[in-house]
Amino acid sequence: MAEAEHDLSKTIIPYLDRHLSFPLLAHLEETNIFPSEEVQVAQYELAKGTNMFDYAETLFKQIHPDEEAPREFEEKRQNAVSTHEQLQQEAQAVLDVIEKPEVAQSLRQDKNQNLQYLKDNYDLTLDQITALYNFGKFQYSYGNYSGAADYLYHFRVLSTDPDLTISAHWGKLASDILTGKWDTALEELNALREAIDSRTPAPFAPVNTSNSNTPTVDPALSQLHSRTWLVHWSLFVYFNHPQGRSLLLETFLSPTYLNTIQTSSPWILRYLAAAAIISTPAPLSSGSTPQSSRVKNAVREVVKVIQMEGYQYTDPVTQFLMQLHVEFDFEAAQKELSKAEVVVANDFFLGDFKDEFLESARCLVSEAYCRIHQRIDIGDLSDRLNLPREEGEKWIVNLIRETRMGQDAKIDLEKNLIQISRPPQPVYQSVIEKTRGLAIRTQVLGAAVAKASAPAPAPEAQTVTVN
Amino acid sequence: MSRFFRQAGDSDSDTESSEDELMSSGDDAPQPKSTSAPKSSMNRFLRGTQSDSSSDSDSDEEDDSDSDVPKQKKSGLPLRSDSEDEESDDEGRTGIRILSAQEKRLAEMEATGKAMDNALKINDWVAISNEFDKLARMIQRQHNVSEPIPPFYVKTLVSLESSLVTTLAKEKEAKKKMNATNAKALTAMKQKVRKAMKEYEQDISKYQADPEAFENEYVSAMTREQQPTISGGKATSGASTVDEVDGGFQSVGKGGKALQLTPEGIFKNLQAVQEARGKKNTDRAEQIRILEKLLEIAVTSYQRIRVLLALVSSRFDYNSSVANYMPTELWLSAQREVDQLIAIVAADSSYIIQEITDDYDELVERHPSQEADGIVRIRGSIISFIDRLDDEFTRSLQNIDPHGTEYVERLKDEKVLYCTICRAQAFYEKTGQDEPLSRVVMRRLEHIYSKPDAVVQALESAADASQITPTMSLVTKGTTSDLIHSLCVYLYKVGNSLLRTRAMLSHIYHYALHNDFHTARDMLLMSHLQESIHSADVATQILYNRTVVQLGLCAFRSGLIKEAQMTLQDIFTTQRVKELLAQGVHQQRFQVLSPEQEKAERQRQLPFHMHINTELLEAAFLVSSMLVEIPLLASIDSEESKRKAISKPFRRLLDFADRQVFTGPPESTRDHIMQASKALQDGEWEKCRDLIQSIKIWSLMPEAPAVKEMLAKRIQEQGLRTYLFTYAPHYSTLSLSLLARTFSLPLRSVTSIVSKMIWSEELPASLDQSGGVIVFHRIEVSRQQQLAQIIAEKVNTMAEQNEKALDMKMGGTGGWGDRADGKQGEKRGEQAQERRGRGERTRGNIRGGARGRGARFAQGLGNQMPGHTSQRAA
Repeated sequence: MAEAEHDLSKTIIPYLDRHLSFPLLAHLEETNIFPSEEVQVAQYELAKGTNMFDYAETLFKQIHPDEEAPREFEEKRQNAVSTHEQLQQEAQAVLDVIEKPEVAQSLRQDKNQNLQYLKDNYDLTLDQITALYNFGKFQYSYGNYSGAADYLYHFRVLSTDPDLTISAHWGKLASDILTGKWDTALEELNALREAIDSRTPAPFAPVNTSNSNTPTVDPALSQLHSRTWLVHWSLFVYFNHPQGRSLLLETFLSPTYLNTIQTSSPWILRYLAAAAIISTPAPLSSGSTPQSSRVKNAVREVVKVIQMEGYQYTDPVTQFLMQLHVEFDFEAAQKELSKAEVVVANDFFLGDFKDEFLESARCLVSEAYCRIHQRIDIGDLSDRLNLPREEGEKWIVNLIRETRMGQDAKIDLEKNLIQISRPPQPVYQSVIEKTRGLAIRTQVLGAAVAKASAPAPAPEAQTVTVN
Repeated sequence: MSRFFRQAGDSDSDTESSEDELMSSGDDAPQPKSTSAPKSSMNRFLRGTQSDSSSDSDSDEEDDSDSDVPKQKKSGLPLRSDSEDEESDDEGRTGIRILSAQEKRLAEMEATGKAMDNALKINDWVAISNEFDKLARMIQRQHNVSEPIPPFYVKTLVSLESSLVTTLAKEKEAKKKMNATNAKALTAMKQKVRKAMKEYEQDISKYQADPEAFENEYVSAMTREQQPTISGGKATSGASTVDEVDGGFQSVGKGGKALQLTPEGIFKNLQAVQEARGKKNTDRAEQIRILEKLLEIAVTSYQRIRVLLALVSSRFDYNSSVANYMPTELWLSAQREVDQLIAIVAADSSYIIQEITDDYDELVERHPSQEADGIVRIRGSIISFIDRLDDEFTRSLQNIDPHGTEYVERLKDEKVLYCTICRAQAFYEKTGQDEPLSRVVMRRLEHIYSKPDAVVQALESAADASQITPTMSLVTKGTTSDLIHSLCVYLYKVGNSLLRTRAMLSHIYHYALHNDFHTARDMLLMSHLQESIHSADVATQILYNRTVVQLGLCAFRSGLIKEAQMTLQDIFTTQRVKELLAQGVHQQRFQVLSPEQEKAERQRQLPFHMHINTELLEAAFLVSSMLVEIPLLASIDSEESKRKAISKPFRRLLDFADRQVFTGPPESTRDHIMQASKALQDGEWEKCRDLIQSIKIWSLMPEAPAVKEMLAKRIQEQGLRTYLFTYAPHYSTLSLSLLARTFSLPLRSVTSIVSKMIWSEELPASLDQSGGVIVFHRIEVSRQQQLAQIIAEKVNTMAEQNEKALDMKMGGTGGWGDRADGKQGEKRGEQAQERRGRGERTRGNIRGGARGRGARFAQGLGNQMPGHTSQRAA
């Protein structure tokens, strides 16, 4: 059960939609961490609450091979089919109008104007538009995700109801995730994120204040909730989209989301840490994509967060970083790495990245090792990297060849050592380093002063003797 | 009440009594001024007071006051004698006299009689007149307690009459001998005696007929039950008035006429008391006594509530001066009465006490059945009583010498107070009054938040013992933390912003006290209180300061030295620790506080048992400063950068210690720490450890041994770092195992520490794994290069300054760093600072941030205490 201990499915599922949990459970069934019967029961329980009766029925038969499927499925199916027809009719009416080319042309940015236009010319009311939403939602509930995504998209373009729009956002995101359209999902995710972030100050304020008597609707709190959900949902996108990892770092390390993670969902730190490790410039692919400074320094920042939240959450992945970059205990780091390997392999989101993770983790270890040591025993280093000697040597040679360490490190085969000679940084260089950003900063300052058009003193006018 | 008496049983003329009063007012002169207004108003009905004479004595208040608690009597009796006989004041207090109240009165009468005899001998009628008045009053009281007329009085009356006659006869012969005043007094006496004679005619005739028998009758009457005597007394005196209201009541109550007599009387008296309230000459003790008596005879709930309300407020009135505190006995009885009040109201839901009610007739008995909705609403406020009780308790603790036993004794009363508060909470929970409930919950919280578990348990078990218990109690909640949590959560939900803030701070304080540093810190940061605290009231600011300090101590105990240092730094840089924690008044160097300020300051002080030991606090701060500062000092070599200090107070002390030529063995805590710092600088970590561990004040810290152990470990580590910084220039290589031996650390942790230093570029070196040594790469920096570095740094700071200045101009709330730690909390701030640069710059930034917070701290109290703002700049 050691694996189960570090399994996060149970913690994450409460923050996911019913439909989003299916892939997670399916994954659990594959990994065999938990008894498959239990997982199946869980799947059945989940499916029962949706309109996917066929799926639920199959599951039921799997669990209870000799029993007849309950009657209610049949009835519910009938219900669902009729509802479907009815909703479809309603939605179709709207769709017919919207799909006319002249209508599509005359639609503008301003939603109110659009509504007015539709009402004047085609007699479409807000209620009818809501039918789109209902139908989309219904489709989603029985598993027709692409259809749901379509309808919800149309609805969102037209609707002015803030709450429903947000809800449609979520629905669309879930549909996109479940259909595996990662690009659209990413767009959707960003849109949703914007919507959530702009929520407190924006037009929703009056709505919230009017409700503030009831303790449940605290705007800050609901925003925190939305963010927490968003963080969880976004894992699907970020670990499937090709550029997801660096985007994940960008998002999760931004102060608001970092706060969200720290306050409401510290277990996300695992993914943050993993993403940071994975996206460290691997020796073999270095220089392929330009990365922002945030991603470059991700490991350092993540280590800080992990250190700070260590009392709330630890697992082998975070522990590995801790041992490596806080304690500098390479032996312990090695142990944690081997544990982390298992955890990563079993994780739904990280499973596919196991190799990349290992590779990058090794890089991190060797980088730290080389920076601290002057002479390194190759065998020792291979041990630290969890590699057999032969392979280790090859790996290290590659590393030296490929990276910037090249000039400083030399292998002494006779003694089986790596000799690293790092000339200390010349003083002038450090001076340059220090003063590098100043010009730009001053310019920005100047611009700001000019913008304010206030007669502020010239930025450099203040004397050095201030300090 | 007395009015009722007169109306009912007493048809004697009003005119006469007013006349009497006129006369008596002259005679009353020697009486203490403090005689209460109601008393004088009663005098109006006291006819016969002055008209009778003779004396005798004895009363048995004792006997009939079964229901009365001896204690109350104790407080009542001496006060009474105050107004009548100033000399007996002290004796009265002793309590021995209490037992012989009757005899005492008798003795008093006899003394008066003797004085009269003496006066008679020298023919001083003015004196006689005075004494007689006194005697008459005593007799009056005798009536009130419904005792028979003492034979002594009758005897005196008779003898007085005879001497009057003789004197008058003599007078006729030698009229000239007497002066005018004396003559006047004589005639007045004549009238008075005549009147008295008339009143006690029966007694006198009985006496004259057979003095012996009369006396026997009296004695037997004394031993017998009272009723017959009362009626007898009534018959003779014709309900001869009530000077002493209480006495009259008692007897009536006993007499079984309660229902008939009391209700209206109670309300009248209540009104009289209330009218007199706050007037200059009101005798508060007297009022309290009256009300106590009223309470005894009050029958219906309504009456009891009314009387209790009046009684409790008059108890609180008793002490008018702000500087003083309420006497403990008074406080205790007030506490009991508040309890009673709550019990009555809680038991019968048809009575409600409200601060605002419709007008009603004060003099009429009310009953739920007569009210429109079946509920009697009475004007009053229990919550204000509770508040007052609590405040008075605190005030008394402020005033009692904390080192005496009295303080401890007084502190024991917290238990009953806590019970009362809990009871009130239960009551408000039951009736669903949110506003007072939140106040009561806050009071409760304030009693337990800063206390260790054991004390809270004691308080809670006492509270559990009462019949009415609130829903939130230790029993239902399990642990104290849960209890406090539920109290706080209630306040978060219901309370207004002030209560919420205070609850939050108390909650954080509690967490910090229980070593839950992370939770406490996160709560403090998430509350964003540090931004708004300067606009709060002083008490809340004090609580905030206390919380922050406790958080620092908590970090220290948990071994988070850096956090502890940073947290405590703010308050220590102000150098007004005691004042900021309200544990002492700051000595003003530059200006003198006005008396009002000083008074306000004194009122803010916390009682001693809530103090956070400042010496311990200082020790924790200085030790953590030492652990942070000493390695840092060793790591920087240029004079320039040495001036920057993380902890100014520590650096100042260290500099001072450096300047001393001779150093003796350490005495104070500071000495210890300074010598330890020096030892640490020299790499003698063992000496340092011994010095730190021998500080006595640690014993006050919970889990002292663990803390000491933690400190020893930290000293080892920091000693290693200091050693490396200091002696690196002298080595080209250094064996790791040697270091491990010297500092008694495992090789692994030595490697870890050294690696960390190399990684963070603090130490220009690298490890040679095969040799097991550290190889140092030291580069000598020429003067020119050094200067270049310095100027680069300065340019940097200048740019930062400019940015800050611009920010201020643009109306930003503070510097960039400030905003970072303001908006996203401290941890974010640290992060941002460290993100911006490492090495020297980081240090500078941290310092900048810390200074900002320090200033904020000072503002905390500075806002409201003029004169400190100037210091804040320093």
